[in-house]
Amino acid sequence: MLSRNAEGLYWIGRYLERARHGCRLLSDQLATMEDRPVEEIDQGWRRLYRAVHRTPLGGFLASGEEDEDFMLADAYTMADDLTFEPDNPDSIRNCLAAARENARQVRNILGVRMWSCLNLAYLDVRDVGIETIWNDQPDAFYGRTEDAIRTFSGIAVSSMYRDDGWHFLWLGWFVERTQLLAGLVDAHLAQYPTAAQHSESDWRALLRICEAHVAYRHLHSHSHRPGRMLDFLVADPLLAHSVRHALARVTEALDAISSGRSLAVEAGRRAGRMAAAIDHDWPNRDPADDAATRAALQGVRNSCLLLHEDIAATYFRYEIADAP
Amino acid sequence: MNGEPVGRQSVADGSGPSAAKRLFADYETRPAYYDEMFAATGVPRAHCLELCEALDGMQPDEIAAMQALAERSFLHQGITFAVYGEEGAQERIIPIDFLPRLLNAADWDVVERGLRQRLKALNLFLADVYGPGRIVADGVIPVDLVRGCPQYRVAMRGLEVPHGVHVALCGTDIVRTNDGFMVLEDNLRVPSGVSYMLANRRALKTSLRNLFRRHHVRGIEHYGQLLRQTLAELAPPGVSDPCIVLLTPGVYNSAFYEHMFLAREMGVELVHGSDLLVHNGCVYMRTTAGLRRVDVIYRRVDDDFIDPLAFRAESQLGTPGLFYAYRLGNVTIANAPGTGVADDKAVYAYVPDMIRYYLSEEPVLANVETHLCRDPEELAFTLDNLETLIVKMVGESGGYGMLVGPHATPAERAAYAEQIRKDPANYISQPVLDLSVSPCLAAHGAAPRHVDLRPFVLHGSETRLVPGAFCRVALVEGSLVVNSSQGGGGKDLWVLSS
Repeated sequence: MLSRNAEGLYWIGRYLERARHGCRLLSDQLATMEDRPVEEIDQGWRRLYRAVHRTPLGGFLASGEEDEDFMLADAYTMADDLTFEPDNPDSIRNCLAAARENARQVRNILGVRMWSCLNLAYLDVRDVGIETIWNDQPDAFYGRTEDAIRTFSGIAVSSMYRDDGWHFLWLGWFVERTQLLAGLVDAHLAQYPTAAQHSESDWRALLRICEAHVAYRHLHSHSHRPGRMLDFLVADPLLAHSVRHALARVTEALDAISSGRSLAVEAGRRAGRMAAAIDHDWPNRDPADDAATRAALQGVRNSCLLLHEDIAATYFRYEIADAP
Repeated sequence: MNGEPVGRQSVADGSGPSAAKRLFADYETRPAYYDEMFAATGVPRAHCLELCEALDGMQPDEIAAMQALAERSFLHQGITFAVYGEEGAQERIIPIDFLPRLLNAADWDVVERGLRQRLKALNLFLADVYGPGRIVADGVIPVDLVRGCPQYRVAMRGLEVPHGVHVALCGTDIVRTNDGFMVLEDNLRVPSGVSYMLANRRALKTSLRNLFRRHHVRGIEHYGQLLRQTLAELAPPGVSDPCIVLLTPGVYNSAFYEHMFLAREMGVELVHGSDLLVHNGCVYMRTTAGLRRVDVIYRRVDDDFIDPLAFRAESQLGTPGLFYAYRLGNVTIANAPGTGVADDKAVYAYVPDMIRYYLSEEPVLANVETHLCRDPEELAFTLDNLETLIVKMVGESGGYGMLVGPHATPAERAAYAEQIRKDPANYISQPVLDLSVSPCLAAHGAAPRHVDLRPFVLHGSETRLVPGAFCRVALVEGSLVVNSSQGGGGKDLWVLSS
């Protein structure tokens, strides 16, 4: 497969997962505004911004401030920033635009339905702004966008030829998911240390964002045990939105791409080490030691950055002498 | 909506106060122009009779709705074209007109024979001017016209190309006037439009299914297959299963959709210049499995930009060393660099002479009378008759930089005359043509609009063409400019099998 096409598909996967994650974070955060106290809502925004490594343009509420009107205006500005802000490269609209731009470049290898689905999703967010969705039902907007992304992935699953293109699409998708999940859990711990007495709802929100609440309830009933929730989100290989599951998909894609090629092993090794660290070190961690847990999560994030470099150097931008 | 005329007779009957207007109720044939559907008496031509009756039985609103649906689907699928210089025009669709233009078998036969003959002569001309130069030595074409042409590539001299084919594909613009078919322009560099021909066909075939079936329209869908076959035949000697790629300038090119479409139709990689590299005189593309040798490049990048080492040094679109690999015979570039010398608007005037010179035949398709301003007498004629002539710059295409005398203001004509005087050799003039008209959907039913057609001819070890064309329409009433880059539209051309 042409390197540029592989890279295009890889980035489509990354941007769509980033946009989907953003939709998920925001729809959950906006849902808290219906019945949670102002302070809790503010905490939620802090976690959210920390998770996406960004600072709101106007700052957060001053500590202890409980003005409802101010909180609402603030939420409007922050949702706009994360959804439509042209200067925010990771805003949902920019992510969809970038995914579509990559799709345009590789349209000849993308099925018509995949392209149309992505193109329509983009056209739907291109012409709306925060005022439109705010006056309507912001939840509905994020739900619709997330659904469009899921539809895209569904069409991919049902129609794509399982060649390198397929593997690069999901490689990008799950490298991004690994990185985002590690970042989100880390941000959550920074905001809500396990030892502190916080309301259960914050932890439940985290499970909801990761689409893990039903599975968790099924396995552990309604017991509120932050340590167990943490293990679930990081190390359970069966949970679609766990770090470990995302890493399994990354190694699977890398194995398929590099089969039979001797020079392409570095990326695979790195992903394997990340997975092994969770399998072997994670169960032994001290559930009350947030510092060690956070360091491990930050290690996953950093490894993802290096993994990306390995992939790019091996498959996308290699020198003649290093050709695989 | 199935778009079928069957079962709509109650509407077309015209009975009752709420009956809808018929499509051709207000249609007026214009005696000055050949009408593709109606004879001068207003009666439909024999081969158009059935179509005319069926369309007349449909409501204009219904056809307009189908048209709008097709255009929306074009937008969603990204079947787009960019008009340069227009802000926000990055992704515009080419408007489609849903009333097809019909061509009977006899008319198509003339067009096809003419195109085959013309392309054969043009290829012989290119092999000659980059080879022995007989036609120039024999005084058929002035030497300075050829060598002085900005599209003449000195680097191509003495180079033998596979099968002697310089032009592997062309898109010739043909118009019908009261005197019959005429060639308006040979597009021998990187002609576009074939994807729109296929998209229009797909849209009409879906919406007017039964009507289409009843007409026994000849198929054009195998174009991609023929293109691939043609390119494969032009591979360097000894390569049996060539690796073919399509080289595009990228997504910002006006015809990017077409590049993408053709790569998909042929099942070949769509590459940018930066995806290719030249190593030891061979061209490779960068794949995830390492470097892969490339044998044939169907390039949609202009000559000037294919290789910064050989042509324009600042080009970011090409691949350094590509022309070197080409000269070594390790890769085929289609069309070959330098073909522009044969579709220069001044050289165009000599194509009938080329046909006579190389093939000893009379041209099947006539040329439009052309005055070369490089000749003092013709310059004087042009300047004296600007208000009745169309003046074009020899090196331009796509309708850019031309003056339509009758539609220009005196001030515009004076300014243009000044430009011509400064550099007469850069201009040619032609009479305003009585382009044929075809019914198109207008605001209140069908109305005549000027049309031309651009069939696409392929030339590998033999000449091939699909029986169809991108039929361009001047959507504005009275306008003669059909170019897509000037806001023209398209319609489907149905070539009938009998």
